[in-house]
Amino acid sequence: MLLLVTRKNCHYAETNMSEITMILQAVARGEEKSSEELFGLVYEELRRLAAVRMAGEAAGQTLQPTALVHEAWLQLVGSGERSWQNRAHFFGAAADAMRRILIDKARRKARLKHGGSQARLNVDDLELAESSPDDNVLLINEALEKLAQDDPEQARIVVLKFFGGLTNLEVAETLGLSERSVDRHWACAKARIFSWIRSQ
Amino acid sequence: MSADKQKQLEDAVFFTALNIGELAQRKFFLDQACADNAGLRAAVEALLVAQAGAEHFFTKGRSALRFPADELAAVVNGIKDAPLVDEQLGSQIGPYKLLQRIGEGGCGVVYMAEQERPVRRRVALKVIKLGMDTKNVIARFGAERQALALMDHPNIARVLDAGATETGRPYFVMELVRGVKLTEYCDLNNLDTRQRLNLFIQICHAIQHAHQKGIVHRDIKPSNILVTLHDGVPVPKVIDFGIAKAIEGKLTEQTLFTAYEQLIGTPAYMSPEQAEMSGLDVDTRSDIYSLGVLLYELLTGRTPFDGKELIKSGLDEMRRTLREDEPRRPSNILTTLHGTELKATAEHRHAEAPKLISILKGDLDWIVMKALEKDRQRRYETVNGLAMDVQRYLNQEPVLARPPSRWYRFEKLVRRNQMVFALGTAVAVALILGLGTSTWLFLREKDARREQAWLRGQAEQAQKRENELRQQTEAREKINLAAVYVSQEKYEQAAQLLDEVKTPPPKPSFDGVSAYRSVGEWLAVQGRWREATERYLALMEIDKLDKWGAVTLDYQACGAVLVESGGLAQYERFCRATIDSFITTTNGDAAGRILKTCLLLPVTESRLAQVQPLGVAAEELFLPQDPKTFPGWAAIPASLWRYRQGNYDQAMEECRRGLDEQDKTTARTATLRVILAMACQKNGRLEIARTQLACARSTVEAKFASGVARGDGNLGFWYDWVFARILLREAAALIEPPPELPQAAVK
Repeated sequence: MLLLVTRKNCHYAETNMSEITMILQAVARGEEKSSEELFGLVYEELRRLAAVRMAGEAAGQTLQPTALVHEAWLQLVGSGERSWQNRAHFFGAAADAMRRILIDKARRKARLKHGGSQARLNVDDLELAESSPDDNVLLINEALEKLAQDDPEQARIVVLKFFGGLTNLEVAETLGLSERSVDRHWACAKARIFSWIRSQ
Repeated sequence: MSADKQKQLEDAVFFTALNIGELAQRKFFLDQACADNAGLRAAVEALLVAQAGAEHFFTKGRSALRFPADELAAVVNGIKDAPLVDEQLGSQIGPYKLLQRIGEGGCGVVYMAEQERPVRRRVALKVIKLGMDTKNVIARFGAERQALALMDHPNIARVLDAGATETGRPYFVMELVRGVKLTEYCDLNNLDTRQRLNLFIQICHAIQHAHQKGIVHRDIKPSNILVTLHDGVPVPKVIDFGIAKAIEGKLTEQTLFTAYEQLIGTPAYMSPEQAEMSGLDVDTRSDIYSLGVLLYELLTGRTPFDGKELIKSGLDEMRRTLREDEPRRPSNILTTLHGTELKATAEHRHAEAPKLISILKGDLDWIVMKALEKDRQRRYETVNGLAMDVQRYLNQEPVLARPPSRWYRFEKLVRRNQMVFALGTAVAVALILGLGTSTWLFLREKDARREQAWLRGQAEQAQKRENELRQQTEAREKINLAAVYVSQEKYEQAAQLLDEVKTPPPKPSFDGVSAYRSVGEWLAVQGRWREATERYLALMEIDKLDKWGAVTLDYQACGAVLVESGGLAQYERFCRATIDSFITTTNGDAAGRILKTCLLLPVTESRLAQVQPLGVAAEELFLPQDPKTFPGWAAIPASLWRYRQGNYDQAMEECRRGLDEQDKTTARTATLRVILAMACQKNGRLEIARTQLACARSTVEAKFASGVARGDGNLGFWYDWVFARILLREAAALIEPPPELPQAAVK
């Protein structure tokens, strides 16, 4: 891991398997630099996968975040890796990467759709019942910031579940919680976020 | 109840209620749970009501997360260069009517717009590119608004308003400036160096004005400085005040990763601390750095680091470059240009190439380099200071900026390498220098807290102790003057001044601290132990407050000085205090330095018991190292500790692991030989003891005979040699009784 930090070039796509394993171990040791690096790696891999999909026969097929994240895991780490801790860190970073991608997509959508006309994503007079799925993503994302201030752990659970598509079990493993607390936090967070959005 | 607890309670009651399907039972539960807490009841009811809608809302949101691969690819690839949907010309944004697109910058598109009310005027309206969290951007802008309104300067374009467009993007409204980018103006008109400097001084005054109103620009670069002509006289105007802060907000590492290109544009003007995003507050000194880059470019046509290269190299590498790499001096970079390029650069500055180089060489080089210091404490303290130095240059007066002295450069090397080591990179370099870095990391954390506490105390005391403060100010001035002498290598004068300072003020300037260190060393190297002792004890007091990287090196030096000056009671007190403050360190390097310093003389049982944790930490650092690499410095504390414990076998073993038999020149080998000799003697291996002692003695004597300078981390600093000599005396008395130490060695 020592050498990783000094890598002269950040061509994430060329990263090999042992490298990511080393990064994951560094993350496990709590090295912050490595988290950023991991995020970069995962993000690049997701980008690469998308490019491959688009170029190949499968173009046009619908992707699900969960599937994509798992595919990225296999691509980068391989099926041999069994350490739960590594998986946890990986999925954490993947959820962040997906969040970023999805938000960008939603914004892009909103921009293309509204394209300078009078429509707007402004919660003041947005009819929630008529909001588009992309609007929902943006509103949830915005409310998440607020939740993160009040209760960072709960906000993290929302990121992992909503953006990362992780199961309760996976979230529990990632954060070191029981499955039941994940379930409880998730229910509470959803209700709270929605009540905020509605009362805005 | 704290907000935290309140939320936990609400969550708990909500979740329990949710799981009670039967409505009457649920109501009963809520009655019980919220009996005397109407607020709680209301909050939980609200959550229960929201719950059903929430499921639907989230499910619908999830459906947006499934989408075709080509769309995904478009998103992830397009983030960088997604075409910006232009606002329609002629359309209305708030009270502004868009007239004409006048430019596109790093973070947005700029329009000329017409304001209808309250006054009819033309303004510049900048729409920020990214679909960011508009609300926060505007909120952050609002926070600065009052301060921005206070700015009133002919060289600053006023920021008038901010808001959100229909599509939810933030926009800013500014005074309309019809001008050209600074560098372009200079090159188009072939302004010579003096003319450029005069423009630069005006820009400095504008920034200084803003700083006095509490506004940091944060994004100073040529495209944010437009030159207009007023009656034929060029007037630079700084635009975009307050915008960088509003849109930077709190970028996290993660958003930064993809966003920094769009947000910040070129990182070429970014100060190291800005690039770090470490939570270190960005202050006026960041602007000074950016002004340094601007000056660099005005003079040479280049930025110290190439913006495109920085982006290409990736975030980590970019940070490393900004933090560690020393840019070429302005005069020096010109010599690296190709003939035609150099010729063009010079022509744009109305000069011949050799002439231009000689103009920049010297004062202008140092002014630029001082503004570009990595450590913001070493930059000019104010923009005014920078402007004044440029003015002095123009008036042909001596400037304050100076070429770094040799010692200063060495210090800088040490510090830089600690940074490197902190990142876990050049382990080899760090070993050579014998410096530990986690020392630095460990201390840094404590620093912040200490500093906070100190500042608070200082504020309270300020009212009470005016008189004392005045004395402190005088002392501070003396110290600063001493620092100037040190920079000119006039140590005697510096020593005299510091001698006059009876109580050093808390927290002298950075240069002041270095002055104490340099003078202390200079005195020690000359064998003026008493004076050296006083300087070092003062330095210890300062170090308590303001610990810089190699602070344990100061302790090491101080310990050696105290023993050598014969101040044994002082040495004893020093050891006690030092052990107290470092006993909890888990850092092997720090532990090792403190340990060997406190074991320099034979010790009592209770002292040995005290330093046990340090010994363990030092050994943990040393033992895993490969003996082939001769981890000599790390072997010293470990083996000395074992020797003092009476564990001679272990001491011998450790000395041998760290010993490079071929080496006849370094303090570390000499020291290890001495320890080995003593351990062998105790174990009855008398022959080896004598050989090793003789070997060590010849090395040490040769060193002192040839004169001990400051030394270096490879062969040994002066205090490493003093350290070796003190142990050598002990060993000689042990192995060759009655003591007949050669006079040369005890001088």
